[in-house]
Formats: sequence, C-alpha cells, structure tokens
Amino acid sequence: MIFRIHSGSGVPIYLQIEAQVKQAVAAGALERDEAMPSIRQLAADLRVNPNTVARAYSNLEREGTIRTVPGGGTFVAARGTGLVKAEKLRRVRPIATQLAVEAKQVELTEADTVRLVEEAWEMLGTRNGVEHD
Amino acid sequence: MTEVMPDLAIETRGLVKRYRNVDAVNGLNLSVPRGAVYALVGRNGSGKTTTIRMLLDLARPDAGTARVLGMDSHVERVAVLERVGYVSDRPLLGGWTGEQLVRFTGGFYPRWSDELVARYVQVFDIPMKQKFRNMSRGNQTKMWLLLALAQQPEVLILDEPTAGLDPVVTDQLLRVLVEDVASDGRTVFLSSHHLAEVERIADWVGMIDKGRLLLETPMEELRAKFRRIQVAGVAEMTPVAAMRVRRSGGSTEYVVRDGAEEFVDALEREGATVLQSSPMNLSEIFLECLSAEGKERE
Repeated sequence: MIFRIHSGSGVPIYLQIEAQVKQAVAAGALERDEAMPSIRQLAADLRVNPNTVARAYSNLEREGTIRTVPGGGTFVAARGTGLVKAEKLRRVRPIATQLAVEAKQVELTEADTVRLVEEAWEMLGTRNGVEHD
Repeated sequence: MTEVMPDLAIETRGLVKRYRNVDAVNGLNLSVPRGAVYALVGRNGSGKTTTIRMLLDLARPDAGTARVLGMDSHVERVAVLERVGYVSDRPLLGGWTGEQLVRFTGGFYPRWSDELVARYVQVFDIPMKQKFRNMSRGNQTKMWLLLALAQQPEVLILDEPTAGLDPVVTDQLLRVLVEDVASDGRTVFLSSHHLAEVERIADWVGMIDKGRLLLETPMEELRAKFRRIQVAGVAEMTPVAAMRVRRSGGSTEYVVRDGAEEFVDALEREGATVLQSSPMNLSEIFLECLSAEGKERE
C-alpha cells in the first residue's frame, strides 16, 4: 500500500490518509487481516507528524475499517463498518450532491450520471460488493 | 505516542530584543508543549533566529524571560544546553574535521552516544575526514544534526534547517526528525519559511511578524477553522470571525478564521447561493494573517 500526501491542497493530512485507506480497502488492494504499517513507520515514510497518522488510525478504527491488537500491530478489519445506515447516508450524501452539481454544470443527463456511478461501482469488483442491511 | 503533557518545553514571556532602534523581538509569548513538533514561521527578518538565540543564551533579552524545560535560559544556561540540541546554518569550527568535531563535542554532554554517531554517519553518509568548512552545505547541516542527535536531547531546536538544502537532503532530514525524534515524544522546535514542509511535520504552529506573535495554535485546529467562502451575488452579511471580505461584480469572497459552518448556514437561510467553502493551506493562511495584521496597524 503506497500512500501519497498532497501538502498544498488544504485537505487535512489525516483525512487524506483515511480516504486512501478506505479506498484501498474498497478496491481490495488492502485485504482483511492484512497488517497496516505502524504509526511510526507510516509517519516516517510520508514525512508527516506521527500524531497526524495516529489521528487517522484512531478515526479508521472507530468506524471499523482497521483494528488494533494491543502490542500486536494494526490490521485491516473485517468488512462491514458497523455504521448505521443513516450515518452511511450522511457521509456519502455530500459527495452525491457534489457529483450532481458537477454533472449538471457540464449538462450531463441524470441517466448518464447514474451510469457513471454504476461503472465506478463495477470497477471496484465483486470482492467487496454490496452490503445488505 | 505520548500524550502532550500539560507542562511546556519552551516558554517565553514578554521577550524583547532590540538591535539599535529595531525591535527584532517585541514582547513575544511562546508556549511550546512537550512532545510537540512546533514550527515558528515568519518572513525573513521577522525575529525567528533572534528568538532561538535567546532560548540558547546566545543573545541576551532586553526584557522578558525565556525558559526551556522549565529552566531560565540564562540563569541555568549549562543545564539547558545539556538537554537541548541545536541545529543552525552557522559555521562550526571550520578548520576541524567531522571526526574532530565529534570528539570535541562529545565531552560536553552526559548522555552522548557513540552508537548514535556511528549510526548517523552511516545514514547521512557524512565525509567525516573532511574539514567542516570544505563540506557541502548539505553535509554541514548533517554534521550539525549528527552532533545534536548524538547528545540525545529532550528538545531539538533547529533554525531554518532545510534552507539551502537539496531535495534529497531535505527529505533525509525530515525523515529523521519524524522517525527518531518526534516518534519518541521528544520536542522539536524549528523555524522555517518552507510552509509546505512545515504543514506536514509540525503539529503546532506559531506565526511571527516583526517580532510579534500573530497566532499560535495546533496545526489541525488551524486547518479545520480557516475557510475561504465564495458566494454568488453581492452578499451583505459579514461573519463574526471575518478576516477579509471582498466584493466584486458577481460574487463575494470571505476568509473566516472560525465558525465557517454556522456562517454558511446563515447565508443559506438568507437565500444566498454559497458556491464554495474550501479549506486553505498553511501558506494561504499565513498570507491572510500577515495582511490582516498589516491592516490593523494602518
């Protein structure tokens, strides 16, 4: 797993780390029970403050993406974030809004836009398919 | 990872230094928590180096106090220097080789480690048989860093450590700071005007201009609170924590230092169309703070 940090973007670094871990898990690049780099290791690799990595890890752990074994390291958690559906919707809605705005701006139809989401969904593969309630 | 302890690694109160008629440092109050990577950022000539020199008793304050690890930098000079590492871009004893500098410096520090010397000579690939003055700029900085790290300091103070370094050496230096110093919970205090670098490795930032502190805050708080908000049309509202409002033909742009979400809500309740509320990087925030400070003084 290779992380990339963009310093100039204004997006907080811990959010960049969180997003990249989630993306890697969703795409299957990080598999269940795979070991994550230690906080010290990742901080050194990225040349970022260790507290920043710690913050990203603790957020990811709280929402169930990774788990920490005391004294034994950090691992990718079992699939299923443990979030209630309302919370899942709350998180994704702003991105959907953004998508709709952009699509309308360039005069894409609703059907074309939905098709884009479907394509993106397929690209993530079946390995991490839909989670049913 | 250590919790930030409530006591301070570095503390200055009302610190003043005048050179002729210029207030190089003008009533500076710094509070650097233990275990922080604290970046003091400011333009050239803003008082960063003078501040650092007073922390190490290399310059005497005209007023105020500088304390490191709870000890007065002047009164308890020796005890401070035993526990603090210092990296600068100034010359060391130029006619001495790296090996001679190591032997000489080691004698002063109770916690000096020859293993660490050997390790960093290898990591940094320093030509130890060369005279300091003949070393490249990058190797000179590495030599300073080697001497500072070998004494196993509780606080590491670096004055513009990456100025004039090539990208490879800069990267080596940042890695060592993160991996060997910050990860151990030791305090790093560095001055810099390389804001993109600072933004990555620091978790506290102090902004200084004309010898005065403009702002001192945890990095994440800074980034979480500052927002640039763009509104379609000419909005008449002004947020409480506005740093700047610019109205032009078709839109209004705000820079706020706090309360961005509430302000956006209020705008939308008033029927305004908020085009964007975007985070700002450290460089943008720094420029806004400087320009706000300039206006206040006019």
